[in-house]
Amino acid sequence: MAWIPDRYRELRTLLRPAPIEEEVEEELRLHLELRAAELESGGLSEVAAREEALRRFGDVAAVRAETCAIEHGARREQRRMELFDTVGREVRHSVRSLGRAPLFTLVAVLTLGLGLGATTATFTLLHAIVLRPLPYPEADRLVLLRHAVPKVGADQKWGNSVASYFFYREHSPAFDELGAYSSGTTFLSGEGSAEVVDGAQVSASLLEVLGIRVVHGRTILESDDVPGGESVALIGHELWQTRFGGDPAILGRTITVNSSPATVIGVVEPGARLPGAPVQIWVPLRLDRSAPPQNSHWVNTYGRLQPGSTPEAGLRDLQRLAALMPERFPEAYSEAWYASSGFTPDVTPLRAHVLGRIDSVLWVLLGAVAVVLLIACANVANLLLVRAETRRREQTVRAALGAERAHFAVHFLTESGLLALAAVALGLVLAYAGVRAIVLLAPPGVPRLHEVSLGATPIAFAISVALLTALVFGLVPVLRSRLDFSALRESGRGMTASRERQRIRGVLVVGQVALALVLLAAGGLMLRSFLNLRSVEAGVDPDNVLTFEVFAPYPRYPTLDDQLRFRRELTERILALPGVTHAAATTQLPLAGGSGCVYTTIEGRVYTSTDRPPCLPVMQVLPGYFDALGIRVSGQTFSWEQVDRADGVAVVSRAFARRMWPGEDPIGRGVISYQDGPPWYRVIGIAEDVRAAGLDQPAIEAIYYPPRAVAGACCSGSPPTAFVVRTSTAQPELIAPSIRGIVQSLDPEVPVANLRTMRDVMSSSEAVARGSLTLLLLGIAATMALFLSAVGLYGVIAYLVGQRRTEIGVRMALGARVSEVARLVLVQSLRLTAIGIVIGVAGALVTSRTLSSLLFEVSPGDPRVLVLVSGVLLVVALLASVVPARRAARTDPSEALRAD
Amino acid sequence: MKVDLLQGTLDMLVLKALSWGSMHGYEVTRWLERQSEEALRIEEGSLYPALHRLARRGLVKAEWGVSENNRRAKYYTLTAAGRQQLQAEATSWATFTAVVGKVLAAMPA
Repeated sequence: MAWIPDRYRELRTLLRPAPIEEEVEEELRLHLELRAAELESGGLSEVAAREEALRRFGDVAAVRAETCAIEHGARREQRRMELFDTVGREVRHSVRSLGRAPLFTLVAVLTLGLGLGATTATFTLLHAIVLRPLPYPEADRLVLLRHAVPKVGADQKWGNSVASYFFYREHSPAFDELGAYSSGTTFLSGEGSAEVVDGAQVSASLLEVLGIRVVHGRTILESDDVPGGESVALIGHELWQTRFGGDPAILGRTITVNSSPATVIGVVEPGARLPGAPVQIWVPLRLDRSAPPQNSHWVNTYGRLQPGSTPEAGLRDLQRLAALMPERFPEAYSEAWYASSGFTPDVTPLRAHVLGRIDSVLWVLLGAVAVVLLIACANVANLLLVRAETRRREQTVRAALGAERAHFAVHFLTESGLLALAAVALGLVLAYAGVRAIVLLAPPGVPRLHEVSLGATPIAFAISVALLTALVFGLVPVLRSRLDFSALRESGRGMTASRERQRIRGVLVVGQVALALVLLAAGGLMLRSFLNLRSVEAGVDPDNVLTFEVFAPYPRYPTLDDQLRFRRELTERILALPGVTHAAATTQLPLAGGSGCVYTTIEGRVYTSTDRPPCLPVMQVLPGYFDALGIRVSGQTFSWEQVDRADGVAVVSRAFARRMWPGEDPIGRGVISYQDGPPWYRVIGIAEDVRAAGLDQPAIEAIYYPPRAVAGACCSGSPPTAFVVRTSTAQPELIAPSIRGIVQSLDPEVPVANLRTMRDVMSSSEAVARGSLTLLLLGIAATMALFLSAVGLYGVIAYLVGQRRTEIGVRMALGARVSEVARLVLVQSLRLTAIGIVIGVAGALVTSRTLSSLLFEVSPGDPRVLVLVSGVLLVVALLASVVPARRAARTDPSEALRAD
Repeated sequence: MKVDLLQGTLDMLVLKALSWGSMHGYEVTRWLERQSEEALRIEEGSLYPALHRLARRGLVKAEWGVSENNRRAKYYTLTAAGRQQLQAEATSWATFTAVVGKVLAAMPA
């Protein structure tokens, strides 16, 4: 019976390869035994023969190890080859079988590609704007230092005073360093035309805080950044290239910045900017550490936290230090003032400050496009189910012939993988185009939009999402392919698709409709909110108005008289242009950003250190300003004669009048800003309220002064720079060239900046910009969702009609009317849609709450929106079922019954 | 006199042995001994890594079979690729020895 174990072993080897070690051992043993036997037969003793055999063989263990290693390598190689082989075969097979169904392939790839493209484009935005770190080294350590003054204004945030800046900087252990800046429009003149560029005055430490590097020359040093320090400037890489042609000899050259000479000491690295603003000219801020402390909070401050420290620790430091300031700087701060203003330090991580509320927008959008992708996946899963259905017999035959279920899984996965691959290629192309389009179309005011591009991370994201979807919908038909040999017996004469399969398809369609409704509802809410925002009573009439800014350099126009003469001349020349009805200027254009407030005293009121006067935005405006912007005024406004006489008159806003003199006539009352006693400006008119701080914000309380101060007033304010020109034509931008010409002919050294219509100013204000970006993207997502669900619904209904052809034929043969058959199909489609709508409305009620921070004067559950979008979906569902219904109605009974 | 094998020569000799037909490892050893009239000094164990390496390169094919005395043994057969390889190696070996021989045979002028 010696053969039995051998046989057994052979059988086992046949089933699966024996372990390599065993085989090698056996081979070597045979050799040793044969050699020993031979030696023995040559006359050696058994023991001696075995020893001699071993000696001749050499190191058995080493040989065994080496041979096994070779064998293991060979096996690995073989397995790899087999895998390549299988994959190659499957891919070829799948390509062939997809090629045989070009319509299916095309629809699946288009659907998925659209979904992937939208998701990738949105992810690219999200990645560039929110997820990617800010362009500063270790940006998570950067914070913005401000002060909240809740009792002055709920949203007021003040910077540092010079005193508090140095005090914090020198005494806060949580901070590595603080840096200060003041940014604004800067103009360059001399050597070529006058030009307005983005500029900033920065402390030497700010460049260190932000980690901004200088690529040529040197940076601003502490020794430059003191009062009386040398007049130096850093220029941006871009400005160096454009204005100075990248001339390496720029270092040491003198340029004219805001009409005073400055020596260029360095060129800053490309792309360097302040977090909130691009900068091309950097000059030292030169804060005076030894100046007498003042309670004037105009110093913008960024801080870099110590490694390992937190914004909270920084805030605790500042709170502790702020509490010491009344003792330290009694001439500027007092406990009483702290109590009356609610003054307290505020530390905002830079990232949160830069992003504002945009990140919630983008997350909402990513959610929206993820829903689009889901709908697309549902469509493809549906298509694959239908396809699996038609191939069920083929599959069953193959299964009967011994193919394994695992094999089908590999096949379906390869097929869906190929579809996903094609879709990802299409999706990336669409995403690239989409991102470009969004960057071009997006309203201004979206942070970091200039940094958006389709990079490695979004591409990796797209591919992973594609593979995941491929896995999911590739497995659906596999799970469904329960091997059921009855399919062989069925000759296709089954009356209807099995209930279960119908149900799955129904669920998919219902899900799609529900998801589409959620998106449509979100889009509808945003649209209403956007329309509300557009139609909100801004208090100004933005149509037919052109605005621009001029900067008359002080060295050339040293006195207020010179400045005003220039403006009056400019205004008169503009008014002489045909089609211009009004022209004037203001220090602060509504909705153009900019804030700040000035303490204002009211005649007849007594203010104490705890009961401080109101703090309001104060504007100096030229005569004609109210007419030019279309702000209604009851009472009077001032004229050039009154400006020239320095009459103490002022116009106050309706909201201000209501608060200060409730129920009384404000005309004739006395007000003054910047100081707390006479001389008084007499109120001569009440201007209607303007939502100058943002269309979604309440109207501001404001005072409009003439640009020349009344005799005896402490401060004159600054001459207005923002011009508003009202035309009688609907295209105010057409007069832009004439305006440039006028300024040029008045003084070629005066630059004109920000020429744009008032409409543009309004649409780029933050609330509108955020709203319109959301609306644009959400609108695209909702449209895609609607389209894809319509396709899905059409597909399913058409398929069901095909499946029920025999049944319909029977019905018609039995006398059913054409209209009845059509109704049968429509009812089925509408039933699915209706269920989807009900679920979708419930979903919308839950999810649209996430939108509420973006909505303006519309509730997240707005019934009008829900009813409207449900109606739209129903109509689309009807349209999608009309074609299949008509086809069903045209069924020829005899043909349908004869067909297999 | 006994000679040591040059690096890589063993592979060629194994291929040569197998060109005579399928053999298991011990048979290859015996064949080499007979043909060289016991003059080749081979560490017998080194044959096995050589055989497996040739199998991995696809020059020989290995199969389990039953030996003359009814033992399970792994038999090696030359493949077409192996035959070509043998031919190429034999030719270059012949050229090599001829050239070296000619050089060594040169007499001082």
